[in-house]
Amino acid sequence: MENNHLIHLYNRAGFGILPKEINTLKKYSISKNVTILFKKAKKHNPLTISLDSLHQLKEQTETLELKSKIVKENRKLIEQLNHHWYKKLYTSKAVLHDKMMLFWTNHFVCSSNSIEQTLAYLTVIEKHALGNFKDFILEISKNPMMIKYLNNQQNRKKHPNENYARELMELFTLGTGHYTETDIKESARAFTGWSTNKTGFVFRKRQHDNDLKTFMGKTGNFNGTDIINIILEHPQCALFISEKIYKEFVNPKPNPKHIKKMARVFRENYNIAELMEFTLTSNWFYDNKNIGVKIKSPVELIVSIHRTLPFKFKKKKFFRHLQYSLGQKLLYPPNVAGWPGGKQWIDANTIMIRLKLASSIAQQKEIAYEPESTFEDDFETISKHKKNKAHFIFSFVNWNAFQKNVQNTTQKELQQCFIGSRLIPETQRIVNTMQNYTTQNFCIALMSLPEFQMC
Amino acid sequence: MKRRDFLKNSSLASGMLFVPNFIRAFEKIPKNKLGHKKLVVIQLSGGNDGLNTIIPYQNDIYYRKRPKISIAKNNVLQLNSQVGIPQHMSSLKSLYDRGYVTIINNVGYPNPVRSHFRSADIWQTATDANEYKSTGWLGNYLDAYDLKSHMAIDVDNKLSLALKGTTKSGISASNPKLLHKNIKDPFFNKLLQQHHLDEHLSEENLGYLYKQAIQANSSASYIFENSKTYQNKANYGNNLLGKQLKTTATYINSHLETNVYYVSMGGFDTHANQKNRHKKLMSIFSKELETFVDDLKSQDTFKDTLIMVFSEFGRRVEENAGHGTDHGAANNLFLVTENLKQPGLYNNMPDLKDLDKNGDIKYQIDFRQVYATVLERWLEANPKKVLGKTFDTLNFI
Repeated sequence: MENNHLIHLYNRAGFGILPKEINTLKKYSISKNVTILFKKAKKHNPLTISLDSLHQLKEQTETLELKSKIVKENRKLIEQLNHHWYKKLYTSKAVLHDKMMLFWTNHFVCSSNSIEQTLAYLTVIEKHALGNFKDFILEISKNPMMIKYLNNQQNRKKHPNENYARELMELFTLGTGHYTETDIKESARAFTGWSTNKTGFVFRKRQHDNDLKTFMGKTGNFNGTDIINIILEHPQCALFISEKIYKEFVNPKPNPKHIKKMARVFRENYNIAELMEFTLTSNWFYDNKNIGVKIKSPVELIVSIHRTLPFKFKKKKFFRHLQYSLGQKLLYPPNVAGWPGGKQWIDANTIMIRLKLASSIAQQKEIAYEPESTFEDDFETISKHKKNKAHFIFSFVNWNAFQKNVQNTTQKELQQCFIGSRLIPETQRIVNTMQNYTTQNFCIALMSLPEFQMC
Repeated sequence: MKRRDFLKNSSLASGMLFVPNFIRAFEKIPKNKLGHKKLVVIQLSGGNDGLNTIIPYQNDIYYRKRPKISIAKNNVLQLNSQVGIPQHMSSLKSLYDRGYVTIINNVGYPNPVRSHFRSADIWQTATDANEYKSTGWLGNYLDAYDLKSHMAIDVDNKLSLALKGTTKSGISASNPKLLHKNIKDPFFNKLLQQHHLDEHLSEENLGYLYKQAIQANSSASYIFENSKTYQNKANYGNNLLGKQLKTTATYINSHLETNVYYVSMGGFDTHANQKNRHKKLMSIFSKELETFVDDLKSQDTFKDTLIMVFSEFGRRVEENAGHGTDHGAANNLFLVTENLKQPGLYNNMPDLKDLDKNGDIKYQIDFRQVYATVLERWLEANPKKVLGKTFDTLNFI
């Protein structure tokens, strides 16, 4: 396999590749390398944390004070899970699975202030990330966190709530323009009574509407499962998912011809692994015009630096603030539509932080960021956090690991590995003047180029 | 000697000390930079309780629904025979008496959302309640008129969604020195200040990144270089809003070419023990606002500055068991400037007998009507081009 294709594959199906890995993997063909990715994906470790502290609290007798303690503990544990997720991304070998989890959590978007619901939701995502889309969407529709997030527990026969029905079609399966307002009203009725008792799915029979519904030209006493089945019969569903996968993994600019091919494969069994395998082994996936055209998400950026140059934050809160300043905090999506991504990651301020990130880590320089604050914080809390100065937020860089990652590699190879070979001529000229740099400084310089923001 | 230095050094000798500050300032500034309109948006985050801000002190329903947290009649400064503001907001009252304040009641949107995040997004992106957009209304304004980042400054460290556009975005600059320090880096200067670099940049993603970086660099330098002319000596309080408004006044009085400033104040989510918390917030708010207005007046920039104060939603009319209020719907909004067309109350107070099914105030004026008016009559922009839709304008400026 050609180096640049291998790098491209790992940029998209993972978080980049290290020079030492290139040497091992380049001797394999494309299909062999894709098979290796899938094999490793199967061995993913579950994303979970210990809930002992919460359970201990819950055993105590309930008082108002305890309630607020439990709320705080939940908040703390979700933050902990956020850190834990990153830790997993830094070291995991099941990168394709990790990438799919990030994709699906930004597709079936929801959030909660309950750690138990969050973990249960992530379990569903983990289980189906490369599984069957049909099972996936059915389980998501019954997931307590999703039901709560989109108010389906308030969807009752007498007062239907259309929120879930609408997002199911608009965001999860079909996209706007492929259903009518009547379809939404009718399908909302089919989902009445799909509720939750916080930990599990509950079907509230008396709240369910048992009358006839007419949905997408079909009439019957439909329930939620029937609605999902009818949606999946619609060819648009496979097209919609394929386009989203294409934009995320291939090119933000959709190519209808390639997307149609993907949809044809996907529609056969709604098998996500088959769709991904087809995409990653297609010739067009490796077209030059698809290489290096995606703006890294903050997660991809942080993880790609960390995998080359492991670092630590001085305090955990600094990491939260950094995620917040870059505009993506895992487990805290902005709304049900998720992070829009692409150019929307970039503004005058985020680009400054992004470009400074690698050098701030390497030289342990200060970096200016915005302390996170929420709507619920009171004025004093916010004031306490905002100091309006630059902070030294990184405390440790593992240069030994870095040296191992890049040893026996030429500058040219490092460039290809980190930023590809198609640089703006002026920038290439600057890179050419860095020949006498140490490997360390050379890599940091590469990671400080706008090209490193792309993958 | 440069003219500027000359002016500085000769001010004592020539008796210019006695000339009002702003006249001296004029001499240093090219004519075309003076007098452009500036909009300052102040977002009260968390949902400000509008009913304890503008009080219907003759309305029994108000007192009945709020036995613990209402503002007593004898603590109200009257605006008219029906409506008043709390004593702890005397600074706002004084602005009001000077004819600088228009209060628009019952501002909101159809199908109000009671989630902070969503409702703030709706206000910032100027969308319908069921529409998701990733660009803000002021960002769209930058896009529509191809304006540089520093034309819209978020006086914070993180850029508000309101200021994000598709190809353009504002810049957050709470501290020009820090901003400058962030971008001042020999490597970046070498990289971003290359000749002919522009010719190679497309609107494709990499080109976009370079352009944003170049823009950030030049806007950060612009703000840093040009905000030093005004030494702010006004007496702001030592709090976040005071600091942000002081920085904003420094920018405005330094005659930056910036059109839009965005300021936010948090802490308004008063679910419990609201009375003292809200009192403190509102006294800080109104005091800092008056200081800000006077600071601008001292440099004769207030007449070209419109301040708009909003919150993502109001709060429930009825107080809750925790002596606070829950998330509500429509709310009042303030506009502060000189030469208002209709200073005072723009429209009727909310009808507390006609609430929605949650017990919240119903909206009468769509917030986008306020935006459209500000865009058309203040920023001289085409509201349809920015908001994507036509909204009836109002008659306050």
